[in-house]
Amino acid sequence: MRVLAIRADKLKKIYSSIYEKIVALREIDIKIKKGEFVAIMGPSGAGKTTFLNLVGCLDILTSGNLEIMGYNPVEFNEGKLSRIRIEKIGFVFEDFFLISSLNALENVQLPLIFARNYKNNNRPRALLKRVGLGHRLTHFPNELSGGELQRVAIARALVNNPQILLADEPTGNMDTKNAQGIFDLFRNLNRKEGLTIIVATHNVRLGYSTDRVIYLNDGEIEKDERLVK
Amino acid sequence: MKFFILAYKNLKRRKSRSFLTIGGVAVAVAVLVCLLGFNAGYQEALTSDVDKMGYQVIVTAKGCPYEAATMILSGEAGLRFMDEDIYNQITSDPDIDKITPLLAQLTYDPEKQGGRGGFTNYLGIEKSYIELKPNVKFKSGGWFSGDNANEAIMGYEAAESEQKSVGDNISIPDKNITLTVVGTFERTATQEDGTVFLPLKTTQRIFDVEGKLTGIGIKLKQLENISEFEERLYPIASIQVISMNQVKGTILNLVNSAKILIMSVAFIAIFVAIIGVINTILMSVLERTQEIGIVKAIGASRLDIFKLIWMETLIICTFGGIFGSIVAIFGGNLVELLVRNVMPYAPGGKLLLITPELLLFSFLGVIIIGIISGLYPAFKAASMRPIEVIRSGE
Repeated sequence: MRVLAIRADKLKKIYSSIYEKIVALREIDIKIKKGEFVAIMGPSGAGKTTFLNLVGCLDILTSGNLEIMGYNPVEFNEGKLSRIRIEKIGFVFEDFFLISSLNALENVQLPLIFARNYKNNNRPRALLKRVGLGHRLTHFPNELSGGELQRVAIARALVNNPQILLADEPTGNMDTKNAQGIFDLFRNLNRKEGLTIIVATHNVRLGYSTDRVIYLNDGEIEKDERLVK
Repeated sequence: MKFFILAYKNLKRRKSRSFLTIGGVAVAVAVLVCLLGFNAGYQEALTSDVDKMGYQVIVTAKGCPYEAATMILSGEAGLRFMDEDIYNQITSDPDIDKITPLLAQLTYDPEKQGGRGGFTNYLGIEKSYIELKPNVKFKSGGWFSGDNANEAIMGYEAAESEQKSVGDNISIPDKNITLTVVGTFERTATQEDGTVFLPLKTTQRIFDVEGKLTGIGIKLKQLENISEFEERLYPIASIQVISMNQVKGTILNLVNSAKILIMSVAFIAIFVAIIGVINTILMSVLERTQEIGIVKAIGASRLDIFKLIWMETLIICTFGGIFGSIVAIFGGNLVELLVRNVMPYAPGGKLLLITPELLLFSFLGVIIIGIISGLYPAFKAASMRPIEVIRSGE
């Protein structure tokens, strides 16, 4: 039996402002095993990004329990949360969020600086080759296409050898071909390296190319489908 | 790639803004270095000037003692006349080690400086003058052949600028007299370099001031006995005794008072530079809010962000410190030239003394300023919550 990567029990998140309270997640229970490739789907405002942010230790839950690779982020201070983020989790965003003043290789090297890992010099280069950008190492973000930018972002997310890769609408800014390429890359990483991947997406076709689709609506799990391949 | 390179690349993104901020810091550093260097240099140059004078005490006709002292220090004429008898009267005082009579005169020569005109200082002296001045040495030639000879010894610069050497003749405008150069002095780095020395009697004859002096230079056996010496001279109503140490102290006090005022201007420049640095870094933090959030999302801790922003501030201040020091070293001569033109009396030698210790002091000062001014922007950046800043950019 595979160990759990993520365990969420009655996970609830409420965003409060002086004007209103928005319930983003309503006591959802989710268990994701290590090595699973999961798509979180649902309409805008369903709670997909909120779920990823909680799992990625970027946000704090309102109530319930959450375990990430056996750790309970609620018990940790900000310093420990950043340690978990850098050691266990890789993040990929819809808008890539690469640093414009750094070239592709330097962008991928960036998390190594924060991990104080100055020795692992070959991994960023190898990862960029792995995502098909071995010839674009010294190109700056404004010299790369949308698909290439996301590949750099994926290489950056993988450079510290995370156990979970979280991707929030990673293909939202891409054409079909590039989007398929990114999902093929995810599939490859999942199969060959056993990486746990959770992708929030609107794209039904790509969502259904994963192992499992969790469909959220209005902060609740509407459907949890394991897909037979 | 390390923190430093990352911080450097961040600053390179807004080149002109970073450059201008570095410029602001550099100006503040240059001003500070020049001011502190001027203070040390002026003190050293004045002390050197006074020491090179050879005499610790001067006796002049009654008047403003400081005006008289600066006139003698700067080699200017214009002093009131006193009777030569006074010299004969005090020369046997028991406290006097060495004594020399002085008669300074000034003439305008329209032919000087290639026809542009200029003043020439003449100083009537006796042989005791050389005995009082340890740094005055002959470069060529020797002493006058007689007390009333029409001969001249030229200071180093006077001889160089007039292209005169031993055996050449010089003339004093409007006096219809020709003097033969019998000697030239070596460079002393004092006002004496530009002076033409004549025998005392010759000077009195040529300028028609027989039996008159403009000053008496005295070296006492014991400087501590100056009060007793002054008391003994007190009955001579027409003269005053000036201690060069007192003059030096008074001039330095005046310079120090001016320094306080100028230093406050320098501190305003530094304060403005600090505000500039804080503004630049804060703007850069606010512009990069989302980026800071992303960097935190990929694992940077609060301390990492704090370090990064702080390092950017330090880079600005370090470059500002380096450029400011370079500007001070190379622009110091220009400042010295300006100061010399503005000040009524400036001692010879280098007025601006920029030492490695001074540069190090100013450099460390600017680094401390950098550390302080980086605190707030760094703290602000480090306090950003990743989720909020990422969302704010969506």
